[in-house]
Amino acid sequence: MLSHLIIGASGLYLGDMLFVGICFIVLMALIASVAWNPVVKMMSDRADKIANDIDSAQKSRLEASDLADQRRDALSHSHAEASDIVADAKQSGEKQRATIVSDAQNEAAQYKQNARKDIEQERQDALKNVQSDVADISVAIATKIIKKQLDPEGQQALINSYIEGLGKHES
Amino acid sequence: MGDPVPTVKFLGLTFNIANDLSVLLTCLIVFLAVFFLSRHIAMKPKGGQNVLEWLIEFTNGIVKGSIKGNDASHFGLYAFTLFLFIFIANQLGLFIHIQVGEYTYVKSPTADPIVTLTLSFMSVALAHAAGVQKKGMKGYLKEYTQPFAVFSVINIFEQFTDFLTLGLRLFGNIFAGEMLLVKVADLAKSNGWFGYVYSFPIELLWQGFSVFIGSIQAFVFVTLTSVYISQKVNDEE
Repeated sequence: MLSHLIIGASGLYLGDMLFVGICFIVLMALIASVAWNPVVKMMSDRADKIANDIDSAQKSRLEASDLADQRRDALSHSHAEASDIVADAKQSGEKQRATIVSDAQNEAAQYKQNARKDIEQERQDALKNVQSDVADISVAIATKIIKKQLDPEGQQALINSYIEGLGKHES
Repeated sequence: MGDPVPTVKFLGLTFNIANDLSVLLTCLIVFLAVFFLSRHIAMKPKGGQNVLEWLIEFTNGIVKGSIKGNDASHFGLYAFTLFLFIFIANQLGLFIHIQVGEYTYVKSPTADPIVTLTLSFMSVALAHAAGVQKKGMKGYLKEYTQPFAVFSVINIFEQFTDFLTLGLRLFGNIFAGEMLLVKVADLAKSNGWFGYVYSFPIELLWQGFSVFIGSIQAFVFVTLTSVYISQKVNDEE
């Protein structure tokens, strides 16, 4: 029974060895092309993908927390800004009020002064008018009085005397 | 398990038809199994791909267990094919035994020392080739004089014992398993109908055990192969 197991009893089965070896190598090549290469590639791809996913998840988390920090900062800034704006507005309102009031005061003073000046002018004019009117009226009155008392001769004499008086006055 | 073997002489080489047919059948089964498991490869694995990836992880685990660093990735395919081949070959004889006339045509190919020694020769040759490739011829030869020059005798002798024990261990286990199965079957036939009754549980038990042995031997063969490769490739610590 064991006769064929003793190497050399029926010759070294070199043919079998070659056959087994070639079969095995062909099988290995077939497995490599059909299953091994694609599956191993897929496995390494998956490992890469998982590693990438972990990395990108980490990155997204950091970005998200950064964004949240930025939002928080912006929010607190906006509070400060709002109070700044209100304070500015108050200040400028105050300033404007002061300028308006002082302008109004100045203007009022100006108007008062102008009015006073006008009144003075009017008074002066009125006084002048009155003076000339008084002179005219007194001349008219005087004329009327004189007209009644003078006859033509007397008038002639008066004129003459006046003319004489003029001449004297001239010389 | 017939005594005479069907042989054919071709180109001056002797072929054992039983071995060759069994090897061919084993290759076919392994290829078809792997082929159909790898039909739908996707990023998100399901079904066959899961099985295949589990097998690949398993054999890669064996290889990485002994070969350190980057070198392990070069031997993954060899370990995977070797494991599947030996596993299927071991189980083949447990359920298929085609006997025509006085010749057995299909059995476990690993129940023949020629086949197992061929496998172990491939493994040892691969180990030596990897050693030469990694360390150069000078570094490879220098390993034999470690730790002292005197040890080279033992070291060289070890190469032959490695080769023989690796092949003969597998052969012995599977051959013994098949032999016992045949003997239990003979026992069943020898005592009339009663023989079938009491030999049935024995056969069942032994077949189950043989499946276990066949799996363990496939694992051991691949593990020892990677150990031998690691001895040639890894630096001595």
